[in-house]
Amino acid sequence: MENKGLGEFEELVLLAVCIIGRDAYGITVKKEVEKHTGRTILLGAVHITLYRLQDKGFLRSEMGGSTEKRGDRRKRLFKITAAGMKQLRVSQDVRQKMWKLIPQLN
Amino acid sequence: MKAKKRKTPVLADWLASTFIEEALQEEFFGDLSETYEDRVLTKGKSYAKFMYWVDVLHLLMGFSSFKRFKSGNNTIVMHKHYVITSMRNLARSKFYSLISILSLAVGMGICLTLSQYIYSEFSYDKFHNNFQNVYRIVIDEINPDGKRYPYPYETGYAVGAAAKEQIPGIKQFVRLHKYSGGAVIANSEQGKIFTEEALNMFFVDKTFLEVFNFPLRVGKMEVAFDDKFSIVITEDAARKYFDTEDAMGKVLTVSGGISPGNYTVTGILENLPMNTHLQFDFLLSVENYMELGWGGAAVKNDDGWSSPDFATYLVLDEAADLNTVREKLNLLIVTNTKQKNAYKNISVRSELQPIKDIHLKSDSEVDQGLVRNSGNLLNVKFYSIIAFFILAVAWINYINLSTARSMHRAKEVGVRKSLGAFKSQLIGQFMTESFIINLMAGILAIGLAIIILPIFGDILDVKLDFDLLEIPTFWLCFFVMIGFGSLLSGLFPAFILSSFKPISMLKGYMAVRPGNFDLRKALITFQFALSLFLMAGTYLVYKQIMFMKNQNMGMEVEKILVLKGPEVNLERSKLESNLQSFIEKIGTHHSIASVSASSSVPGKGYNTGIPIRKLGAPESADKFGRVIFAGFDLPVTYNLEFIAGKTPTKQMLDGKQVVVVINEEAVRAFDLGSPENALHEKLFYKDDTFKIVGVVKNFHWHSLNNTQTPYLFEFYNDCRSYISFRLNLSSIQESLSAIESTYNSFFPGNAFDYFFLKDEFNQQYKSDVQFGNLFFAFTILAIFIASIGLFALVSYSATLKVKEIGIRKIMGATVRDLMMLLSREYLILLLLAYALTIPAILYWGRSWLDNYAFRTDMGFELFVIPVILLVVISFLIVSCQTYNSARANPVESLRMD
Repeated sequence: MENKGLGEFEELVLLAVCIIGRDAYGITVKKEVEKHTGRTILLGAVHITLYRLQDKGFLRSEMGGSTEKRGDRRKRLFKITAAGMKQLRVSQDVRQKMWKLIPQLN
Repeated sequence: MKAKKRKTPVLADWLASTFIEEALQEEFFGDLSETYEDRVLTKGKSYAKFMYWVDVLHLLMGFSSFKRFKSGNNTIVMHKHYVITSMRNLARSKFYSLISILSLAVGMGICLTLSQYIYSEFSYDKFHNNFQNVYRIVIDEINPDGKRYPYPYETGYAVGAAAKEQIPGIKQFVRLHKYSGGAVIANSEQGKIFTEEALNMFFVDKTFLEVFNFPLRVGKMEVAFDDKFSIVITEDAARKYFDTEDAMGKVLTVSGGISPGNYTVTGILENLPMNTHLQFDFLLSVENYMELGWGGAAVKNDDGWSSPDFATYLVLDEAADLNTVREKLNLLIVTNTKQKNAYKNISVRSELQPIKDIHLKSDSEVDQGLVRNSGNLLNVKFYSIIAFFILAVAWINYINLSTARSMHRAKEVGVRKSLGAFKSQLIGQFMTESFIINLMAGILAIGLAIIILPIFGDILDVKLDFDLLEIPTFWLCFFVMIGFGSLLSGLFPAFILSSFKPISMLKGYMAVRPGNFDLRKALITFQFALSLFLMAGTYLVYKQIMFMKNQNMGMEVEKILVLKGPEVNLERSKLESNLQSFIEKIGTHHSIASVSASSSVPGKGYNTGIPIRKLGAPESADKFGRVIFAGFDLPVTYNLEFIAGKTPTKQMLDGKQVVVVINEEAVRAFDLGSPENALHEKLFYKDDTFKIVGVVKNFHWHSLNNTQTPYLFEFYNDCRSYISFRLNLSSIQESLSAIESTYNSFFPGNAFDYFFLKDEFNQQYKSDVQFGNLFFAFTILAIFIASIGLFALVSYSATLKVKEIGIRKIMGATVRDLMMLLSREYLILLLLAYALTIPAILYWGRSWLDNYAFRTDMGFELFVIPVILLVVISFLIVSCQTYNSARANPVESLRMD
């Protein structure tokens, strides 16, 4: 299947997962993205994106620890896959390349 | 230590659990709880709850396109499937779907429009606070001759106060008196001067604005009537007299009528809503009338019970028992009027009329009085019935169409059944389809109603807004209507089709067809019958109106121009002579055949009603006579036909004895023998004797709704309310300008206010004309809807019979033969419908005509024209389609197997 690339929000979420590392789940990803972009993100958007990325194969997940705060419900923890990492790098390269080609900046 | 568990919004949780995939629920709910806790701590509980809802809803909406959506659950998938299939089906048979939706929408739309109208007719005067406890006093007085009292809504001035004092349970009273004679009102500073009619100005008690909810835009109600010369006006009046200036505190000069003078504006009311029986522009203080009216003479000689002058409204306590109060009031009134009524043998009974009933249930024939915009309960009832019928017709159409088309779908149903569909699922599918169509039609109907409503309002001369939309009950009814419609039409195909055996359907056998056919036939017959009935009705209404308009009025109407007499700047002493000079002078103009003055003109009612008898007869012979005060030439101007005597000369009006001219009916009623004999008789009333100088043939001073009553013209030289001109119509413009200039030279400063009698007269028929127009509109609609239905049905059965037609053609049938064959069954239905309608037309036609004292006959053409019309229309429709099928190439039709 042709790779259509990552949407802006998808990219942010992937990066956030990478940054957070071990404890990446709905709430932490949401907070991370909010921290760096300064926008308010809705929880649902994050969840949907996480699932979509998982379907595309860029993330994998497993059920993790529970705390009392969540009413004894477990979290779904996400980790980036090799494919995901590769996708991130490719995106980054493309941006850099195009950025360098802008006349005014050179 | 366990942290205290906080409750997250339960409804939101339930929603989320229903629609989100099981597997994902745990982490989602977990995340939600966590955020909830955080938010409660940082920003408080309400914020947390609100954001919880936001998150849930957002997720639900976001998920709908996402395949993770709970697709495992059957119900939702199935409903979705139904909807998709229904939409596909609709798109496939675009033509029929369109027709169905359209005719349903039109039917529902009309129904909605009518409902709005009916609703607003019933909403009159319900916006007053405490309206349930406000009543108007009605006096029912039966004269010995059986005639009822002409002013049932008017009482003496003392009634209100006495009732409040003496009867427990009465909290407040309000009196209202119209400014008889009308007035000319002027804003002298700006030179704005207009004539206002009597019913536009009311003397009221201070309590008026408390009891009736007419809010003041400027001014305070507590003090607005403190001064006897204060006047409260509406916004419209303020704009009319003061343009853009602020009217508060300014002076309006009132001339003529009961209490002329300079009045200061002490309040400006917001414009009156349409749905109240009280329509006015000016309010004056009743104290003014009591002390200064008619120069102080208004109430001086009256004990407050004998002269009925006021409309009195009573506010009852919540807890008061209506019957007790009524009985006590009756006793009060009877006791106080016993004197006056005893010798006249009149029986009195008082009633309390709730104000919400005034608009529709007042007896406007008897009452000359205060209500200008009375409604007609009978008409409203008619409209409701019609509305329902139109809806019924639209539904019938839809049922016909869908049952017809459902045969078409037999194959599809067969396939579904063999694949294992449950009967309930099939039913569900048909119902969904039906529901969608009804829903779309419903939405379209609302749009249609919004467009039609103003037009409808114009026809009926009322202002109609779509208030209904704001009422929750309306929406309830609306959805019930849609639901009911879906049920009606969905049930039949759903149940019948789903019970067939799959094999027979797949093969195309339609074993039960005859049954369906009968139902459809019955429905079409009903539609035909309804259309015929409406057509006949419309024709009858128009016939009656034409009859009334063309009726010989017994006097000249066409050529009469009426001018409102002078009111201001009058030198009393010279008034009579000025008037005579004016009349003489203008009478010489070549385009004017005759001029005379009077206190009333045809269509404006009579001046007074009195009990009179022949001189010498006993009191019991008193009969009610309508009196018109007239200048000596009035009968000539109106071309009344004299059968004895003639109009009096000016000399006869020397004041020594009153002379009268009476009509034929009076001769009969007062037992005067023959008309010639009457010339030798005199009439007696109170202390006066009248000498009869002439007898005229009966005429119609009022609209033809009224039966013949005795009329008397009493002649005086100083009548000046109206001046009537009989023109010879050679040049109306010339007449007008001549009259105007002469009038202005004799009576400067007076408004030149004129009208043509025939226009005014026709106004009386306004409500009948409106009724006729509406009936006509409904007829067109019914025919339209029935035609659509017929057309679709014929098209459909033509497609069914394709093979049969093909074979017949091969056997040698001509196009004409085939057309006759196909249309024959519909013609038979039409004739059957016709037979059924005849008794209905006879019955309803007769009872409607009974409303009119003078009526046209029903006529033979009433039964012929509608049916011929309908036959022609149906034939056209049927032949369009049958022609197409008859022309089809038999090879083509037989090949498809």
